[in-house]
Amino acid sequence: MSSNSQKRRQITGGDLRKNAPSPSHYGRKRGSDGQLRSQGDPQPSLGAKGEHRHTDNRSESFTTPETVRPLSRCKDWGSEVEESEMRMSVNRDMQRYRRRILTAEFSSRERKVSSGSCDSRDSASPTELETDENVLLRRQKQINYGKNTLAYDRYIKEVPKHLRQSGVHPRTPNKFRKYSRRSWDQQIKMWKVKLHTWDPPAQDGDLQAIEQIDLGEVMDIELDPDGETCKTSAGDEMDCFSVTPRKMKKTEELPQV
Amino acid sequence: MDSVCVEYKLQTLDAGAQNLLKAALKDPRAVDLEKVATAIVDLSLKDSSFCKEAGRICYALIQEEAKDANSTVFRRNLLTRLQQEFTVRKETRKRSVSQWVCLVNFICTIFDYLKVNNQPMAALVQPVYDCLFRLVQPDALTNEEEVDCLAMQLHRIGEQLERAEAGRMDELFYALRDGFLLQERLSSMARLLLLEVLEFRAGGWKLSDTAQQYYYSEVAN
Repeated sequence: MSSNSQKRRQITGGDLRKNAPSPSHYGRKRGSDGQLRSQGDPQPSLGAKGEHRHTDNRSESFTTPETVRPLSRCKDWGSEVEESEMRMSVNRDMQRYRRRILTAEFSSRERKVSSGSCDSRDSASPTELETDENVLLRRQKQINYGKNTLAYDRYIKEVPKHLRQSGVHPRTPNKFRKYSRRSWDQQIKMWKVKLHTWDPPAQDGDLQAIEQIDLGEVMDIELDPDGETCKTSAGDEMDCFSVTPRKMKKTEELPQV
Repeated sequence: MDSVCVEYKLQTLDAGAQNLLKAALKDPRAVDLEKVATAIVDLSLKDSSFCKEAGRICYALIQEEAKDANSTVFRRNLLTRLQQEFTVRKETRKRSVSQWVCLVNFICTIFDYLKVNNQPMAALVQPVYDCLFRLVQPDALTNEEEVDCLAMQLHRIGEQLERAEAGRMDELFYALRDGFLLQERLSSMARLLLLEVLEFRAGGWKLSDTAQQYYYSEVAN
């Protein structure tokens, strides 16, 4: 084990892991100028042994590999603002989603038949929803990375929602449903792989790579949150594309590997 | 693009800066936004009269960027640059009080202009307070420039700041009262400014009519 009990770890942006548990523990570990404040207060639960912990309370042996990210509590202003903006939008999404579920439940009860067209994603009752803000935020970020691609842009232009077939067309994972971490990460992975089908044709391999990298690094906040939670087909102004030639189109557009 | 120049009062800037800002306002994606952010911050630190325009320009750029590309690159760059300046504010004040005052002015302008979902940016609340607390220190109170800055910011954003965090505003005003009562070598102008601010806050962030008359009317002698 490393001698983290002796050394005071230098907190740098790239080092630290995101604080997963207890979002209520929001101590100001840094002054607003980024200088660490003296940590007088005992950390809850894990910190009792007196060895110096990461400020997010995990010992060195914590092994779940996560993407190394700046510490969520003590960020630069840019990230803080983006995160708080995302939190607000995630909360709004949640309200909307809850309303949508309740409406669906209510109308299905009225009809006294299980609505055959009921989206399996919507059948979760409100108590089974994922409500942990940190989880929702993380999921939203992952979704944003996927939506922030040329492939996604081309996909939504090409296939309007009412023409999407399950199994054939990728579907954005529903962040409000309860899933294990592994299951969710896998869904995201598969979704992104499927989206690659709509990658722009690689005329110049470099060009495509550059564009994709560039977009990937920009952490966009969705101004128009998940279409699946609220858009009705009336709101879609997309033209109908004929279904048949799509397979041929896709073949053409696959990047030359 | 002359209308842009006029709208944002860009004529006072040098040609390079003018062109950069004009291009950015026309199409944020066509320019290096980091450069633009740096330019805006640097200009604001030099010239406090540019601050207000700078705030409006930043607002416009952020709107443009969000609308066209649904991205927040400029805002991120701006805040990062601002945070850098904030981190070295002690040295800045030592080097030049005027620049320090410009910095405070600009940070507060950004706080005022750039809202997120109609709320002020939470990330800036503590930094702004930190700046104001610095201005209420004894060595700052003896500088009219700094007292004037303090008064101006409190007028502009005091109410919003208090709403964001009331406790610290209370503390700030304890210090302000102390300064008013106990600080030696306070110029009468400084005393006037502090007293007015005290009344302003006491009146719920507005001045009563009689106070308004006292402080702002010409007294016919």
